[in-house]
Amino acid sequence: MSGEIYGFLGRNGAGKTTTIRMLLGLIRPTGGGVEVLGARVRPGATAPFARVGYLVESATAYPNLTVRENLEIQRRLTRAPRAAVGEAIGLLRLDGLADRPAKVLSLGNKQRLSLARALLHSPELLILDEPTNALDPAGIVEVRELLRSLARERGATVFVSSHILGEIAQLADRIGIMHEGRLIEELDREQLRAQERLYVRVGVSDTERAASALAAAGFARVEQPGDELRVYDAEGRVPEMARLLVGAGLDLTELTTVREDLERHFLRLTGGAA
Amino acid sequence: MMFAQVLAAEFVKLRRSKVTWFSLAALSLGPLAIALMMWIVREPGRAAQLGLLGTKANLSGLTATWPAYFSMLTMVVGIGGMLLLAFVVAYVFGREYTEGTAKNLLALPVGRHWFALAKLVVAGVWWAVLVVAVLVEGFVLGALLGLGGLSATLAASAVRDALLAAAIAYLLVPVVAWIAMLGRGYLPPLGFALAMLAVGDVLSHTGWAAWFPWSVVPLLIGAIGKPATTIAPVSLVVVALTFVGGIAATIAQLRWADNAQ
Repeated sequence: MSGEIYGFLGRNGAGKTTTIRMLLGLIRPTGGGVEVLGARVRPGATAPFARVGYLVESATAYPNLTVRENLEIQRRLTRAPRAAVGEAIGLLRLDGLADRPAKVLSLGNKQRLSLARALLHSPELLILDEPTNALDPAGIVEVRELLRSLARERGATVFVSSHILGEIAQLADRIGIMHEGRLIEELDREQLRAQERLYVRVGVSDTERAASALAAAGFARVEQPGDELRVYDAEGRVPEMARLLVGAGLDLTELTTVREDLERHFLRLTGGAA
Repeated sequence: MMFAQVLAAEFVKLRRSKVTWFSLAALSLGPLAIALMMWIVREPGRAAQLGLLGTKANLSGLTATWPAYFSMLTMVVGIGGMLLLAFVVAYVFGREYTEGTAKNLLALPVGRHWFALAKLVVAGVWWAVLVVAVLVEGFVLGALLGLGGLSATLAASAVRDALLAAAIAYLLVPVVAWIAMLGRGYLPPLGFALAMLAVGDVLSHTGWAAWFPWSVVPLLIGAIGKPATTIAPVSLVVVALTFVGGIAATIAQLRWADNAQ
Protein backbone atom coordinates (compact mmCIF):
# COMPACT_ATOMS: atom_id res chain seq x y z
CA MET A 1 0.00 0.00 0.00
CA SER A 2 1.27 3.47 -0.85
CA GLY A 3 2.91 5.26 2.09
CA GLU A 4 3.18 2.06 4.07
CA ILE A 5 6.26 0.68 5.76
CA TYR A 6 6.36 -3.08 5.38
CA GLY A 7 8.73 -4.87 7.71
CA PHE A 8 10.15 -8.09 6.36
CA LEU A 9 11.30 -10.08 9.33
CA GLY A 10 13.19 -13.32 9.53
CA ARG A 11 16.15 -14.99 11.12
CA ASN A 12 19.49 -15.07 9.31
CA GLY A 13 19.14 -17.46 6.39
CA ALA A 14 15.32 -17.30 6.35
CA GLY A 15 15.32 -16.13 2.72
CA LYS A 16 14.83 -12.37 3.09
CA THR A 17 17.75 -11.33 0.88
CA THR A 18 16.93 -14.03 -1.66
CA THR A 19 13.36 -12.70 -1.87
CA ILE A 20 14.65 -9.16 -2.33
CA ARG A 21 17.06 -10.27 -5.05
CA MET A 22 14.13 -11.89 -6.86
CA LEU A 23 12.06 -8.72 -6.52
CA LEU A 24 14.91 -6.80 -8.17
CA GLY A 25 15.54 -9.35 -10.92
CA LEU A 26 19.06 -10.04 -9.66
CA ILE A 27 18.27 -13.74 -9.47
CA ARG A 28 15.55 -15.81 -11.09
CA PRO A 29 13.02 -17.68 -8.97
CA THR A 30 13.18 -21.45 -9.36
CA GLY A 31 9.40 -21.42 -9.71
CA GLY A 32 6.62 -18.88 -10.12
CA GLY A 33 7.04 -15.24 -11.04
CA VAL A 34 7.56 -11.82 -9.50
CA GLU A 35 5.65 -8.60 -10.08
CA VAL A 36 6.80 -5.21 -8.81
CA LEU A 37 4.51 -2.17 -9.12
CA GLY A 38 2.34 -4.13 -11.54
CA ALA A 39 5.22 -5.01 -13.87
CA ARG A 40 6.56 -8.52 -14.32
CA VAL A 41 10.23 -8.76 -13.30
CA ARG A 42 12.24 -10.76 -15.80
CA PRO A 43 16.02 -10.96 -16.24
CA GLY A 44 17.10 -7.65 -17.69
CA ALA A 45 13.67 -6.07 -17.20
CA THR A 46 13.72 -2.30 -16.80
CA ALA A 47 9.99 -1.48 -16.62
CA PRO A 48 9.41 -0.99 -12.87
CA PHE A 49 12.86 0.21 -11.86
CA ALA A 50 12.49 3.91 -12.68
CA ARG A 51 10.10 3.88 -9.69
CA VAL A 52 12.17 1.65 -7.39
CA GLY A 53 15.14 2.48 -5.19
CA TYR A 54 17.04 -0.32 -3.49
CA LEU A 55 19.83 -1.37 -1.22
CA VAL A 56 20.80 -5.04 -1.14
CA GLU A 57 22.83 -6.42 1.73
CA SER A 58 26.22 -4.70 2.12
CA ALA A 59 26.68 -1.04 1.22
CA THR A 60 29.01 -0.62 -1.74
CA ALA A 61 30.34 2.34 -3.73
CA TYR A 62 33.14 3.13 -6.18
CA PRO A 63 36.01 3.66 -3.73
CA ASN A 64 38.03 6.16 -5.79
CA LEU A 65 35.00 8.38 -6.43
CA THR A 66 33.67 10.96 -4.00
CA VAL A 67 30.26 10.71 -2.38
CA ARG A 68 28.99 13.31 -4.86
CA GLU A 69 30.46 11.47 -7.87
CA ASN A 70 28.99 8.16 -6.74
CA LEU A 71 25.58 9.83 -6.54
CA GLU A 72 26.14 11.61 -9.85
CA ILE A 73 26.48 8.20 -11.52
CA GLN A 74 23.16 7.11 -10.02
CA ARG A 75 21.56 10.41 -11.07
CA ARG A 76 22.56 9.84 -14.68
CA LEU A 77 21.37 6.25 -14.69
CA THR A 78 17.98 7.12 -13.22
CA ARG A 79 17.62 10.41 -15.13
CA ALA A 80 16.98 12.27 -11.90
CA PRO A 81 17.22 16.09 -11.95
CA ARG A 82 20.60 17.68 -11.19
CA ALA A 83 19.38 19.01 -7.84
CA ALA A 84 18.66 15.46 -6.66
CA VAL A 85 22.30 14.80 -5.73
CA GLY A 86 22.45 17.76 -3.32
CA GLU A 87 19.07 16.88 -1.85
CA ALA A 88 20.08 13.27 -1.18
CA ILE A 89 23.36 14.43 0.40
CA GLY A 90 21.41 16.76 2.70
CA LEU A 91 18.78 14.16 3.55
CA LEU A 92 21.38 11.62 4.67
CA ARG A 93 23.54 14.27 6.39
CA LEU A 94 26.51 13.63 4.14
CA ASP A 95 27.23 17.34 3.54
CA GLY A 96 30.61 17.31 5.24
CA LEU A 97 31.67 14.20 3.34
CA ALA A 98 30.35 15.07 -0.11
CA ASP A 99 33.80 15.60 -1.63
CA ARG A 100 35.60 12.79 0.19
CA PRO A 101 36.32 9.54 -1.68
CA ALA A 102 34.04 6.67 -0.68
CA LYS A 103 37.03 4.56 0.37
CA VAL A 104 37.67 6.76 3.42
CA LEU A 105 34.08 6.58 4.68
CA SER A 106 33.24 4.62 7.81
CA LEU A 107 30.93 1.62 7.40
CA GLY A 108 28.04 3.66 8.75
CA ASN A 109 28.65 6.51 6.31
CA LYS A 110 28.96 4.04 3.43
CA GLN A 111 25.54 2.79 4.47
CA ARG A 112 24.25 6.38 4.35
CA LEU A 113 25.72 6.79 0.88
CA SER A 114 23.95 3.61 -0.25
CA LEU A 115 20.69 4.88 1.20
CA ALA A 116 21.21 8.23 -0.56
CA ARG A 117 21.74 6.31 -3.80
CA ALA A 118 18.56 4.33 -3.24
CA LEU A 119 16.32 7.35 -2.71
CA LEU A 120 18.05 9.80 -5.06
CA HIS A 121 15.39 9.61 -7.79
CA SER A 122 12.46 9.85 -5.34
CA PRO A 123 11.23 6.31 -5.98
CA GLU A 124 7.68 5.24 -5.20
CA LEU A 125 8.98 2.00 -3.73
CA LEU A 126 12.09 1.64 -1.61
CA ILE A 127 13.37 -1.92 -1.17
CA LEU A 128 15.93 -1.92 1.62
CA ASP A 129 17.75 -4.98 2.85
CA GLU A 130 18.95 -4.46 6.42
CA PRO A 131 19.37 -0.67 5.94
CA THR A 132 20.56 0.02 9.47
CA ASN A 133 23.45 -2.45 9.31
CA ALA A 134 26.66 -0.86 10.58
CA LEU A 135 24.92 2.29 11.79
CA ASP A 136 25.45 3.49 15.35
CA PRO A 137 22.39 3.92 17.61
CA ALA A 138 21.98 7.59 16.67
CA GLY A 139 22.26 6.66 12.98
CA ILE A 140 19.61 3.98 13.40
CA VAL A 141 17.19 6.49 14.89
CA GLU A 142 17.95 8.96 12.07
CA VAL A 143 17.32 6.37 9.37
CA ARG A 144 14.13 5.26 11.10
CA GLU A 145 12.89 8.86 11.15
CA LEU A 146 13.94 9.34 7.54
CA LEU A 147 12.03 6.27 6.36
CA ARG A 148 8.97 7.35 8.33
CA SER A 149 9.07 10.82 6.79
CA LEU A 150 9.58 9.40 3.28
CA ALA A 151 6.51 7.24 3.76
CA ARG A 152 4.43 9.98 5.44
CA GLU A 153 5.42 13.05 3.44
CA ARG A 154 6.33 11.66 0.03
CA GLY A 155 3.93 8.72 0.08
CA ALA A 156 6.77 6.30 -0.65
CA THR A 157 6.20 2.65 0.12
CA VAL A 158 9.08 1.22 2.09
CA PHE A 159 9.83 -2.50 2.07
CA VAL A 160 12.46 -3.04 4.72
CA SER A 161 14.01 -6.30 5.82
CA SER A 162 15.70 -6.95 9.11
CA HIS A 163 16.51 -9.67 11.55
CA ILE A 164 16.36 -7.11 14.35
CA LEU A 165 12.89 -7.39 15.80
CA GLY A 166 12.92 -4.24 17.86
CA GLU A 167 13.74 -2.17 14.81
CA ILE A 168 10.92 -3.61 12.72
CA ALA A 169 8.45 -3.40 15.59
CA GLN A 170 9.14 0.32 15.96
CA LEU A 171 9.09 1.12 12.27
CA ALA A 172 6.67 -1.04 10.35
CA ASP A 173 2.96 -0.60 9.70
CA ARG A 174 2.75 -4.18 8.57
CA ILE A 175 5.06 -7.09 9.23
CA GLY A 176 5.71 -10.22 7.21
CA ILE A 177 7.52 -13.04 8.96
CA MET A 178 9.71 -15.22 6.79
CA HIS A 179 10.94 -18.62 7.90
CA GLU A 180 12.79 -21.28 5.92
CA GLY A 181 11.94 -19.65 2.61
CA ARG A 182 8.24 -19.14 3.31
CA LEU A 183 6.16 -16.21 4.46
CA ILE A 184 4.56 -17.75 7.52
CA GLU A 185 2.61 -14.79 8.88
CA GLU A 186 1.56 -11.24 8.06
CA LEU A 187 0.40 -8.85 10.78
CA ASP A 188 -0.72 -5.25 10.77
CA ARG A 189 -0.23 -2.96 13.77
CA GLU A 190 -3.56 -3.92 15.37
CA GLN A 191 -2.90 -7.60 14.97
CA LEU A 192 0.54 -7.08 16.35
CA ARG A 193 -0.88 -5.45 19.45
CA ALA A 194 -3.34 -8.30 19.78
CA GLN A 195 -0.41 -10.67 19.83
CA GLU A 196 0.99 -8.97 22.88
CA ARG A 197 0.01 -10.96 25.94
CA LEU A 198 0.64 -10.46 29.59
CA TYR A 199 1.71 -13.18 31.96
CA VAL A 200 2.97 -13.37 35.54
CA ARG A 201 6.42 -14.84 35.98
CA VAL A 202 6.62 -16.78 39.23
CA GLY A 203 9.87 -17.47 41.05
CA VAL A 204 9.32 -20.19 43.60
CA SER A 205 11.23 -22.94 45.44
CA ASP A 206 9.28 -25.83 43.81
CA THR A 207 7.77 -25.06 40.41
CA GLU A 208 5.99 -28.42 40.07
CA ARG A 209 4.13 -28.03 43.36
CA ALA A 210 3.39 -24.36 42.64
CA ALA A 211 1.98 -25.24 39.19
CA SER A 212 -0.32 -27.85 40.72
CA ALA A 213 -1.47 -25.48 43.47
CA LEU A 214 -2.22 -22.68 40.97
CA ALA A 215 -4.07 -25.02 38.60
CA ALA A 216 -6.15 -26.37 41.49
CA ALA A 217 -7.05 -22.79 42.49
CA GLY A 218 -8.53 -22.11 39.04
CA PHE A 219 -5.62 -20.51 37.15
CA ALA A 220 -6.38 -21.95 33.73
CA ARG A 221 -3.13 -21.26 31.83
CA VAL A 222 -0.04 -22.28 33.72
CA GLU A 223 3.05 -23.00 31.59
CA GLN A 224 6.54 -24.17 32.52
CA PRO A 225 9.06 -23.23 29.83
CA GLY A 226 12.39 -24.47 31.20
CA ASP A 227 12.80 -23.67 34.89
CA GLU A 228 10.35 -20.77 34.64
CA LEU A 229 6.73 -20.77 35.74
CA ARG A 230 4.34 -18.54 33.77
CA VAL A 231 0.72 -17.87 34.58
CA TYR A 232 -1.32 -16.28 31.76
CA ASP A 233 -4.53 -14.25 32.13
CA ALA A 234 -3.64 -13.61 35.75
CA GLU A 235 -2.47 -10.00 35.88
CA GLY A 236 -5.33 -8.88 38.20
CA ARG A 237 -4.83 -11.80 40.55
CA VAL A 238 -1.22 -11.28 41.66
CA PRO A 239 -2.03 -10.74 45.44
CA GLU A 240 -4.20 -13.86 45.38
CA MET A 241 -1.37 -15.86 43.77
CA ALA A 242 1.08 -14.61 46.41
CA ARG A 243 -1.23 -15.64 49.28
CA LEU A 244 -1.89 -19.02 47.69
CA LEU A 245 1.77 -19.91 47.11
CA VAL A 246 2.94 -18.74 50.56
CA GLY A 247 -0.03 -20.55 52.11
CA ALA A 248 1.08 -23.73 50.34
CA GLY A 249 4.42 -23.49 52.18
CA LEU A 250 6.47 -22.43 49.13
CA ASP A 251 9.31 -19.89 49.22
CA LEU A 252 8.29 -17.08 46.85
CA THR A 253 11.20 -15.17 45.20
CA GLU A 254 9.51 -13.38 42.28
CA LEU A 255 6.12 -12.30 40.94
CA THR A 256 6.53 -10.13 37.87
CA THR A 257 4.01 -9.11 35.22
CA VAL A 258 5.67 -9.49 31.79
CA ARG A 259 4.45 -8.20 28.41
CA GLU A 260 5.03 -10.84 25.75
CA ASP A 261 6.14 -8.84 22.73
CA LEU A 262 6.82 -9.44 19.07
CA GLU A 263 10.09 -11.09 19.89
CA ARG A 264 8.42 -13.91 21.78
CA HIS A 265 5.73 -14.22 19.13
CA PHE A 266 8.42 -14.37 16.46
CA LEU A 267 10.47 -16.94 18.33
CA ARG A 268 7.40 -19.05 18.93
CA LEU A 269 6.54 -18.96 15.24
CA THR A 270 10.04 -19.75 14.04
CA GLY A 271 10.70 -22.46 16.55
CA GLY A 272 13.24 -20.66 18.75
CA ALA A 273 13.26 -20.64 22.55
CA ALA A 274 10.44 -18.41 23.81
CA MET B 1 19.61 9.31 -24.93
CA MET B 2 20.15 6.54 -22.39
CA PHE B 3 23.37 5.23 -23.91
CA ALA B 4 24.95 8.69 -23.64
CA GLN B 5 24.09 8.81 -19.93
CA VAL B 6 25.50 5.31 -19.34
CA LEU B 7 28.65 6.20 -21.28
CA ALA B 8 29.09 9.43 -19.31
CA ALA B 9 28.63 7.47 -16.06
CA GLU B 10 31.29 4.97 -17.19
CA PHE B 11 33.76 7.79 -17.84
CA VAL B 12 33.01 9.30 -14.40
CA LYS B 13 34.07 5.94 -12.91
CA LEU B 14 37.61 6.44 -14.28
CA ARG B 15 38.20 9.64 -12.28
CA ARG B 16 41.13 9.46 -9.89
CA SER B 17 41.76 5.91 -11.07
CA LYS B 18 45.41 4.99 -10.65
CA VAL B 19 44.96 2.16 -13.12
CA THR B 20 44.66 4.58 -16.06
CA TRP B 21 48.04 6.15 -15.22
CA PHE B 22 49.57 2.78 -14.48
CA SER B 23 48.57 1.45 -17.90
CA LEU B 24 50.09 4.50 -19.60
CA ALA B 25 53.28 4.15 -17.55
CA ALA B 26 53.52 0.41 -18.34
CA LEU B 27 53.09 0.79 -22.08
CA SER B 28 55.37 3.82 -22.30
CA LEU B 29 58.19 1.75 -20.80
CA GLY B 30 58.25 -0.19 -24.10
CA PRO B 31 59.60 2.59 -26.35
CA LEU B 32 61.99 3.60 -23.57
CA ALA B 33 63.42 0.08 -23.41
CA ILE B 34 63.74 -0.12 -27.20
CA ALA B 35 65.43 3.29 -27.31
CA LEU B 36 67.86 2.13 -24.65
CA MET B 37 68.73 -0.98 -26.68
CA MET B 38 69.25 1.15 -29.78
CA TRP B 39 71.59 3.44 -27.85
CA ILE B 40 73.54 0.44 -26.49
CA VAL B 41 73.91 -1.01 -30.00
CA ARG B 42 75.13 2.31 -31.32
CA GLU B 43 77.44 3.12 -28.45
CA PRO B 44 78.60 -0.17 -26.91
CA GLY B 45 81.71 1.44 -25.39
CA ARG B 46 79.81 4.00 -23.31
CA ALA B 47 77.16 1.42 -22.45
CA ALA B 48 79.83 -0.94 -21.14
CA GLN B 49 81.32 1.89 -19.08
CA LEU B 50 77.91 2.46 -17.51
CA GLY B 51 77.54 -1.26 -16.83
CA LEU B 52 74.58 -1.49 -19.22
CA LEU B 53 76.21 -4.03 -21.51
CA GLY B 54 77.24 -7.35 -20.06
CA THR B 55 80.09 -9.22 -21.65
CA LYS B 56 77.70 -11.88 -22.89
CA ALA B 57 74.88 -9.55 -23.88
CA ASN B 58 73.58 -10.57 -27.26
CA LEU B 59 72.31 -7.66 -29.21
CA SER B 60 74.02 -8.75 -32.41
CA GLY B 61 71.75 -8.66 -35.40
CA LEU B 62 70.13 -5.49 -34.10
CA THR B 63 70.90 -2.28 -35.90
CA ALA B 64 70.29 1.21 -34.60
CA THR B 65 67.98 2.23 -37.46
CA TRP B 66 64.39 3.35 -37.86
CA PRO B 67 63.27 0.07 -39.56
CA ALA B 68 64.60 -2.01 -36.62
CA TYR B 69 63.16 0.50 -34.14
CA PHE B 70 59.71 0.41 -35.76
CA SER B 71 59.75 -3.37 -35.91
CA MET B 72 60.28 -3.55 -32.14
CA LEU B 73 57.80 -0.77 -31.47
CA THR B 74 55.07 -2.66 -33.35
CA MET B 75 55.94 -5.70 -31.26
CA VAL B 76 55.48 -3.67 -28.06
CA VAL B 77 52.11 -2.30 -29.19
CA GLY B 78 51.01 -5.68 -30.58
CA ILE B 79 52.05 -8.27 -27.99
CA GLY B 80 52.54 -6.07 -24.91
CA GLY B 81 49.41 -4.16 -25.92
CA MET B 82 47.29 -7.31 -26.12
CA LEU B 83 48.15 -8.09 -22.53
CA LEU B 84 47.75 -4.51 -21.36
CA LEU B 85 44.42 -4.19 -23.15
CA ALA B 86 43.25 -7.37 -21.42
CA PHE B 87 44.30 -5.73 -18.16
CA VAL B 88 42.29 -2.58 -19.01
CA VAL B 89 39.20 -4.62 -19.90
CA ALA B 90 39.61 -6.81 -16.81
CA TYR B 91 39.63 -3.62 -14.74
CA VAL B 92 36.68 -1.92 -16.46
CA PHE B 93 34.46 -5.01 -16.19
CA GLY B 94 35.95 -6.85 -13.21
CA ARG B 95 35.95 -3.86 -10.85
CA GLU B 96 32.15 -3.96 -10.61
CA TYR B 97 32.48 -7.37 -8.96
CA THR B 98 35.64 -6.69 -6.97
CA GLU B 99 34.22 -3.40 -5.64
CA GLY B 100 30.80 -5.00 -5.08
CA THR B 101 28.97 -2.49 -7.28
CA ALA B 102 27.66 -4.87 -9.97
CA LYS B 103 24.40 -5.35 -8.07
CA ASN B 104 23.80 -1.59 -8.23
CA LEU B 105 23.70 -1.69 -12.04
CA LEU B 106 21.14 -4.42 -12.48
CA ALA B 107 17.80 -3.06 -11.27
CA LEU B 108 17.75 0.29 -13.04
CA PRO B 109 15.63 1.80 -15.79
CA VAL B 110 18.58 1.12 -18.12
CA GLY B 111 18.91 -1.97 -20.33
CA ARG B 112 21.82 -4.03 -19.02
CA HIS B 113 23.29 -4.35 -22.53
CA TRP B 114 24.07 -0.62 -22.50
CA PHE B 115 26.53 -1.19 -19.66
CA ALA B 116 28.39 -3.86 -21.62
CA LEU B 117 28.57 -1.65 -24.71
CA ALA B 118 29.53 1.51 -22.77
CA LYS B 119 32.32 -0.34 -20.99
CA LEU B 120 33.67 -1.65 -24.30
CA VAL B 121 33.61 1.91 -25.69
CA VAL B 122 35.46 3.18 -22.58
CA ALA B 123 38.08 0.44 -22.98
CA GLY B 124 38.35 1.31 -26.69
CA VAL B 125 38.89 5.03 -26.04
CA TRP B 126 41.39 4.22 -23.28
CA TRP B 127 43.24 1.86 -25.62
CA ALA B 128 43.27 4.40 -28.48
CA VAL B 129 44.76 7.06 -26.17
CA LEU B 130 47.44 4.59 -24.99
CA VAL B 131 48.38 3.54 -28.52
CA VAL B 132 48.55 7.11 -29.85
CA ALA B 133 50.56 8.25 -26.79
CA VAL B 134 53.05 5.40 -27.20
CA LEU B 135 53.46 6.00 -30.94
CA VAL B 136 54.11 9.70 -30.32
CA GLU B 137 56.58 8.78 -27.57
CA GLY B 138 58.23 6.31 -29.94
CA PHE B 139 58.69 8.93 -32.65
CA VAL B 140 60.05 11.49 -30.19
CA LEU B 141 62.58 9.04 -28.68
CA GLY B 142 63.63 7.80 -32.13
CA ALA B 143 64.20 11.39 -33.26
CA LEU B 144 66.17 12.17 -30.09
CA LEU B 145 68.40 9.17 -30.78
CA GLY B 146 68.99 10.45 -34.30
CA LEU B 147 68.35 7.05 -35.91
CA GLY B 148 68.95 6.74 -39.60
CA GLY B 149 66.86 5.40 -42.45
CA LEU B 150 63.58 7.25 -41.88
CA SER B 151 61.27 7.87 -44.81
CA ALA B 152 57.64 8.94 -45.02
CA THR B 153 56.71 5.57 -46.53
CA LEU B 154 58.44 3.69 -43.72
CA ALA B 155 56.80 5.85 -41.02
CA ALA B 156 53.35 5.47 -42.62
CA SER B 157 53.77 1.72 -42.92
CA ALA B 158 54.93 1.39 -39.29
CA VAL B 159 52.01 3.47 -38.02
CA ARG B 160 49.59 1.47 -40.17
CA ASP B 161 50.94 -1.86 -38.83
CA ALA B 162 50.80 -0.67 -35.22
CA LEU B 163 47.24 0.67 -35.58
CA LEU B 164 46.12 -2.50 -37.35
CA ALA B 165 47.63 -4.66 -34.59
CA ALA B 166 45.97 -2.44 -31.97
CA ALA B 167 42.62 -2.68 -33.74
CA ILE B 168 42.77 -6.48 -34.00
CA ALA B 169 43.81 -6.69 -30.34
CA TYR B 170 40.72 -4.62 -29.50
CA LEU B 171 38.42 -6.91 -31.49
CA LEU B 172 39.47 -9.80 -29.25
CA VAL B 173 38.65 -8.12 -25.93
CA PRO B 174 34.88 -8.63 -25.70
CA VAL B 175 35.68 -12.29 -24.94
CA VAL B 176 38.00 -11.11 -22.16
CA ALA B 177 35.16 -8.91 -20.88
CA TRP B 178 32.86 -11.92 -20.84
CA ILE B 179 35.43 -13.92 -18.86
CA ALA B 180 35.74 -11.00 -16.38
CA MET B 181 31.98 -11.14 -15.80
CA LEU B 182 31.85 -14.91 -15.73
CA GLY B 183 34.74 -15.05 -13.24
CA ARG B 184 33.56 -11.93 -11.35
CA GLY B 185 36.90 -10.22 -10.94
CA TYR B 186 40.31 -9.35 -12.37
CA LEU B 187 42.26 -12.58 -12.28
CA PRO B 188 40.18 -14.86 -14.55
CA PRO B 189 40.34 -12.48 -17.56
CA LEU B 190 44.07 -11.88 -17.09
CA GLY B 191 44.70 -15.61 -16.81
CA PHE B 192 42.57 -16.17 -19.89
CA ALA B 193 44.46 -13.54 -21.92
CA LEU B 194 47.82 -15.03 -20.93
CA ALA B 195 46.60 -18.54 -21.77
CA MET B 196 45.36 -17.40 -25.20
CA LEU B 197 48.74 -15.83 -26.01
CA ALA B 198 50.46 -19.04 -24.95
CA VAL B 199 48.09 -21.19 -27.02
CA GLY B 200 48.63 -18.79 -29.94
CA ASP B 201 52.36 -19.38 -29.65
CA VAL B 202 51.95 -23.17 -29.59
CA LEU B 203 49.58 -23.13 -32.56
CA SER B 204 51.97 -20.96 -34.53
CA HIS B 205 54.29 -23.94 -34.79
CA THR B 206 51.55 -26.18 -36.16
CA GLY B 207 50.51 -24.09 -39.13
CA TRP B 208 47.10 -23.33 -37.63
CA ALA B 209 48.03 -19.81 -36.55
CA ALA B 210 45.83 -18.11 -39.15
CA TRP B 211 42.81 -19.89 -37.71
CA PHE B 212 43.37 -18.84 -34.13
CA PRO B 213 42.28 -15.28 -33.24
CA TRP B 214 45.07 -14.69 -30.71
CA SER B 215 47.70 -15.65 -33.30
CA VAL B 216 46.65 -13.04 -35.85
CA VAL B 217 48.44 -10.08 -34.24
CA PRO B 218 51.70 -12.05 -33.72
CA LEU B 219 51.52 -13.19 -37.36
CA LEU B 220 50.91 -9.64 -38.55
CA ILE B 221 53.78 -8.04 -36.68
CA GLY B 222 56.26 -10.84 -37.20
CA ALA B 223 56.42 -12.25 -33.69
CA ILE B 224 55.87 -15.60 -35.41
CA GLY B 225 58.11 -15.85 -38.48
CA LYS B 226 58.34 -12.88 -40.83
CA PRO B 227 55.75 -10.09 -40.65
CA ALA B 228 52.72 -10.97 -42.78
CA THR B 229 52.11 -8.61 -45.64
CA THR B 230 48.40 -9.30 -45.63
CA ILE B 231 45.97 -10.85 -43.19
CA ALA B 232 44.52 -14.15 -44.39
CA PRO B 233 40.75 -13.95 -45.07
CA VAL B 234 40.19 -16.81 -42.65
CA SER B 235 41.91 -14.77 -39.92
CA LEU B 236 39.62 -11.83 -40.60
CA VAL B 237 36.62 -14.14 -40.29
CA VAL B 238 37.72 -15.72 -37.00
CA VAL B 239 38.59 -12.31 -35.51
CA ALA B 240 35.21 -10.91 -36.59
CA LEU B 241 33.41 -13.95 -35.16
CA THR B 242 35.36 -13.64 -31.90
CA PHE B 243 34.36 -9.97 -31.66
CA VAL B 244 30.66 -10.56 -32.31
CA GLY B 245 30.58 -13.71 -30.17
CA GLY B 246 32.34 -11.91 -27.32
CA ILE B 247 29.86 -9.03 -27.35
CA ALA B 248 26.89 -11.43 -27.48
CA ALA B 249 28.28 -13.53 -24.61
CA THR B 250 29.01 -10.42 -22.50
CA ILE B 251 25.49 -9.06 -22.98
CA ALA B 252 23.92 -12.47 -22.33
CA GLN B 253 25.99 -12.89 -19.16
CA LEU B 254 24.90 -9.49 -17.86
CA ARG B 255 21.27 -10.07 -18.80
CA TRP B 256 20.67 -13.67 -17.82
CA ALA B 257 23.17 -14.69 -15.18
CA ASP B 258 22.05 -14.61 -11.56
CA ASN B 259 23.81 -12.05 -9.43
CA ALA B 260 23.83 -13.08 -5.80
CA GLN B 261 26.48 -10.55 -4.80
